[in-house]
This record gives sequence, C-alpha cells and structure tokens, in this order.
Amino acid sequence: MSTRLERASLQVRSEAPVASRAVLEITGLARQFGSHEVVRALDLTLAPGERTALWGPNGSGKSTVLRCIAGTLDPTRGDVRVDGHRAGTLAARRAVGASLAQERSFYLRLTGWANLLFFARLRSSSEREARLRVAALEEELELAHITAERVDRCSTGMVQQLGFARALLGDPKLILLDEPTRSLDEDARGRLWGALDRRPGVAVLIATHLKEDVERCDERVDFPH
Amino acid sequence: MTSASTFLIRPRIPRAILALAYRDYAVNRTYRLGFILDFGFGFANLVVFYFISRTVQGVGDLDRLNGAPSYFAFVAIGIALSGVITAAAAGLAQQLREEQLSGTLEMLVVQPVGISGLAIGLAAWPFAFAMLRAALYILVGGGLLGISFRETDWFGFVVVLITAAAAFSGLGIFLGALVLVVKRGGAVVGLLVFVLGALSGAYFPLAVLPGWLEAIGTVLPTQHAFSGLRNATFIGTDWAGSALVLLAFAAVTVPLALLAFHFALRHTRRAGTLNQY
Repeated sequence: MSTRLERASLQVRSEAPVASRAVLEITGLARQFGSHEVVRALDLTLAPGERTALWGPNGSGKSTVLRCIAGTLDPTRGDVRVDGHRAGTLAARRAVGASLAQERSFYLRLTGWANLLFFARLRSSSEREARLRVAALEEELELAHITAERVDRCSTGMVQQLGFARALLGDPKLILLDEPTRSLDEDARGRLWGALDRRPGVAVLIATHLKEDVERCDERVDFPH
Repeated sequence: MTSASTFLIRPRIPRAILALAYRDYAVNRTYRLGFILDFGFGFANLVVFYFISRTVQGVGDLDRLNGAPSYFAFVAIGIALSGVITAAAAGLAQQLREEQLSGTLEMLVVQPVGISGLAIGLAAWPFAFAMLRAALYILVGGGLLGISFRETDWFGFVVVLITAAAAFSGLGIFLGALVLVVKRGGAVVGLLVFVLGALSGAYFPLAVLPGWLEAIGTVLPTQHAFSGLRNATFIGTDWAGSALVLLAFAAVTVPLALLAFHFALRHTRRAGTLNQY
C-alpha cells in the first residue's frame, strides 16, 4: 500500500498508474456551506480497480466529497466526472453505487429483502434480473438473517450491511462508501472486504477515520480538520 | 446541470414508476388499520351527505346540479373526483415530504431514475389508491345508496377522470417542487387543494356562490373536471369539451411543472439541502 500525507493542502492527485480511462476524475473541487469552505481545490483521479481512502476526522469534508460524486450535492467550484459523465447525470448515477448515511436511508417498515429489491428494480432491466441480483448478494454477503427482518427491527450494524449490499446493486463501476465498517463486527468486515476483493475492476472510494480501512486501500487522501 | 433529455419519457421509466408505486403500496399495506379506516371514513362521509341530501330534498333548483337527479348524486361524484384531484395535486408533495423526513430522499436521488420517472413514480400509488377509492364510492353510491347510472357514458366518465388526473398532476409536480425547496409546504398544498375543490363545485353548485366567487370558480380548471364528470355520469353527453380543456391544461402545465421540479432539485443540490428536513 502506498500512502501519502499532505497536511498543508487538499490538492492531492493519485499517483497510481491509470490502466484505462479513469472512472472518477475530480478537478479543483471546492464546496462551501455559507462562508465555511469544507473542501478546497481537491484533485483526484481513480482508475478501474483502484481503491482510495479519504481519511480524516469527523467534519473534515470527506462525506461532502462523496455527495458531490454521487450527485446529491453540487460543487461550489470545480468539476466531477464519473466514467466520463458529469456527476449527477443519469449516466453517471448508473455508474455509481453509493452507501452514504445508512441509518436513515431505508424504508423502515419494509424488510431488508423488500428494500434491496426496490433499489434493484431501479437498476435492473427486468424483474427477474432484479431478484437474481438481490439473491446473489444475499448469498455472497450472508445477509439472509438481515433481509428477512423489517429494517426497523435491525441493529445499526445490520442496516450498515444492507447499505453496503445496496451499493453493489447494478454492478457499478465506482463504489462510494461512507464509514462502511464503523458499526460492523469482525465477520461482517471480512465479508465486506471480501466482496470488494472479488470485484477487482471496480474503483472504490471510502470515507473513513479508521486506520484498518485505510490499510485496505491503495491510496490515502488526507483531510485535515 | 442535468441534460434536457432527462425530461423525456425513457424506456426505463415505466419500470421505475412501477417500482416506486409497488414500494409505496408495500409500505402502506403495513398500516392495515389505516387502510380500513380510510375506506371507513370515506363511506361514512358518503352516508352523511346521503342524509343531508334527504334533508334538503325538494329545496333548491335541480337544474343547477349538472343533470344530477339529487343533491346526493351531485355530491357523490364531487367527493369521488375530489379524492382523485387531491391525490394528483398533493400526492407527490406528500410523498416527497415523507422521503425528506425519513431520510430516504437522498438515496432515491442517487438512483438512475430521471426527473419524470421520479415525479410520476412517487405520485403513482397515492393516485392509484384514489382511483380505487373513487370506484368504490361510485359502487357504494350506486349499489347501496340509490344513484342511477342508466344515462352514464362510461367511456366519457373514464376519459374525463383520466384527463382530470393528468391536468392536476401538473399542479402536483409544481407543489412537489415547492416542498423540495421550502420543505414545510404542507399548509400551502392543503389550502390550495381545498380551495380548488370548494370553489369548483365539488360540494355545491357554483351558482350558489356570491357573484365574484362564482366568477373565480368558473375559470378554475377543476370546475371543468366536476362538470364534465357529472355530465358523463348523469346526462351521458357534453363531457368532451371539458375533457379537451383539461387536456390542454395538462399539455401546458405538466412540461412546465417538470421544468420547475428539475430546477427545484438543482436548487437543493446547490444549496446542499437534499438530505435536510
């Protein structure tokens, strides 16, 4: 693993070799909330299969960057492209699988299965494909005990596993994970990293403050407070 | 900025609409008592108006009632259509508000669904439920409470119902855009839907209103929906003009409303308020 620490600035560019067209290209990304500049002039490129950690304490702007890539937040300045498409466009959203704020992002009165199937339907061309995708993920991530439960009866860690499964739906080229292992037990963490390892062509961007997550990545971009 | 092609109906959209509608059905099914109470309240409402109608029988001028043989027949159609109009005009706004409060809106917006698919899909279940409820009211009104459908042009009935729903879905998408931006737009939505119903002849003929209010009611598109549906139901003719007006209203308002929804969504992305409530 190669890590870099650039505390003076967020002007960081990945030095990993770009094997083919970049899946993610961020140029001069800045985001302000009022007069508070949360992210300043971030440059970042991710090639297929590359795994990068955005590392820093709470409130340092990591999640803001993920939201700009997912297309739920517009940059104040700069450009974000996913698979060559501007972030937030339909084509870009098709290429992104995201797990952002997991705790409040599911329909609590539905089961885990019904939730995953709903999101799979939005990313599949047929009902059969959607069901197959959910079934495959349920088996791969050993989620049967979670998908059978209504989400309002699941623990934080169980919901977090569902959030990760949802990010994998639709075979995205880029996966965005916000603190993906924060509430997971050791087995669940193993399944998460195993699933990412089985997708060597997928670029992964992880916002985290945990060293263990960083060690699983090829690159690290520091977000000082 | 999302490209203009986002506004077009894409082949994917029907799947997204079905998925959203089925999800909302599944969520609502978990509130079984709510389902039963909803229908129960609607039935009770009809019964109350049935007895009001019997009380005022012989009072007033039947010529004012769009061919309806009684006040109850007049108001039953008004109640059934009001539910459909309310769902078309307020369904999306209510659904968006629920998504904001439950925190699911952001994950929904991340999905590869266009503006049209999102707006129509979120409004689809409330609308389908309102249509079902309207059908039940008509059945109860006809089967148990004596409304006659001998003169009904059912083709005209369905055409007016569908064009009315299309016309007011434009308004519904506008109100959805309002909720995206101001969050707590429920009061505005409720007031607007109430005024549209009350001033357009849902519960009483426009002719009983003071002149200036009647003038306002006459130009409201909802008035065409009520008069068109009553004409189709009780006279069996003279509904096509109303359907055309509603269709024209839909043709103008729906594209404009989708544009407004697009800009509202863009505003929330710029302001960073998509995951706020």
